Amino acid sequence: MATKTSATPKSEPQVIPTPTKTITIASVVDVVGILATDSLAGQVYFMDTNKAEGSTGQGTENLRTVVSAGYRLVWTVIFLECEAYAAIDEIIIDPEYCEPEKKVYEGTDVSYWMGTVKKDITSPVPYTVKFKVGTRDESIPTASPLYLIGKGS
Amino acid sequence: MSQQLGIIVMVDVEAALKANTLKGNTYLFDNMKLQGSEGLGTDKLISAIHGSSYIDGSQANEQVLNWLPYGVGSLPPTLPKSFLADKSKNSDLKALEDIKALADKITSTDTDEFTNVDDVIEELKRISKSTGIKTQVQDKYSDTTRDLGTSGQKIMDVTGELISASKDKIPEINSLNPLITDISGEAVDKKIIYPAAYGSPDMVTDGWYWAASVDTSTPGTYAYTMDIQLYKLIWSDGVWTWIPVHMKCEAYIKISNDQKKNGFTNAGVGYLPIPIA
Repeated sequence: MATKTSATPKSEPQVIPTPTKTITIASVVDVVGILATDSLAGQVYFMDTNKAEGSTGQGTENLRTVVSAGYRLVWTVIFLECEAYAAIDEIIIDPEYCEPEKKVYEGTDVSYWMGTVKKDITSPVPYTVKFKVGTRDESIPTASPLYLIGKGS
Repeated sequence: MSQQLGIIVMVDVEAALKANTLKGNTYLFDNMKLQGSEGLGTDKLISAIHGSSYIDGSQANEQVLNWLPYGVGSLPPTLPKSFLADKSKNSDLKALEDIKALADKITSTDTDEFTNVDDVIEELKRISKSTGIKTQVQDKYSDTTRDLGTSGQKIMDVTGELISASKDKIPEINSLNPLITDISGEAVDKKIIYPAAYGSPDMVTDGWYWAASVDTSTPGTYAYTMDIQLYKLIWSDGVWTWIPVHMKCEAYIKISNDQKKNGFTNAGVGYLPIPIA
């Protein structure tokens, strides 16, 4: 009878600490709709990757993202028409909780915004996102606030 | 030129894989809100498609639909399609440079920094970690796997950084966008839409996208089903492997006899607003 030999143990993947939990907050922008109405109202939709912890308002302009201190938040932009242009110009939020900064994907001019939640949140923290749209000079702010929500609050 | 309408399929890939369904984990959008589309931002999109004449009474040309699937936590589609491959390749080239620099330091007589074997090992470990983790992708129809891309692309987070996280964290990474593999259902069976996958040099769509022309002569609401392929990253046989997972998502088109119009001018589609002097 052939003796069954054990296979060479597979090596474990290397372990390098990652920053903290990362939540992506993606926005879908109707550029033509914004230019036609001169407003973001009803023309931008947000969703995040933290529905599991209780984020609500997914797919609306009033997303409420559940966060904890140390979470890394990444805001990205997608537009409905691929020939159009939109980008986040500013994120206005109480700097006591988060100070998002504009970053650029290495070797490209495609931007995203990133910030780390500085401390746990007890009551909802509102924030506004301003978008640059098409060739319009002035950026346009979201018509109603988005929120960061503390876990369990 | 025919009027091009876009339908965006946003998938929360991680949530969909956990729940094993796209229901509640998909957000559909189109750019026909001004025409009366309903359910934008939900998984029950009804795309409004106006009929075959323009508001000035002239006969309209065909209506074309384009579907583009994206992941909520994936890299933005505006990045060049070579972004992931370039970054993976550059990290290998950088590692080779670092190894050469290390060799120079070891042979240099000016410093004793790297004469200790432990220091050399530490430096080699640092270089090794900076190269990230290569991945493979499993074939759609069999258990065979192959390198992802020409040189085995690596695991990248949403900020475009190569990562080498712990085994627990890596399955949360979803750098690959979902794919549509088929469009079928009532609207196809009744010959209302004629969908197909098209090749394109457009970097936004990664070369392939699904499009359909619409028979607008038969008003009504019709369902269609998208077959969507997600990728689940698992540790298998000693390598990180993207496993295709297939799911279905239903949506609707609502064809009416309403006239097409330009959202800016409320006139025919071809006319643009005239600047105010």
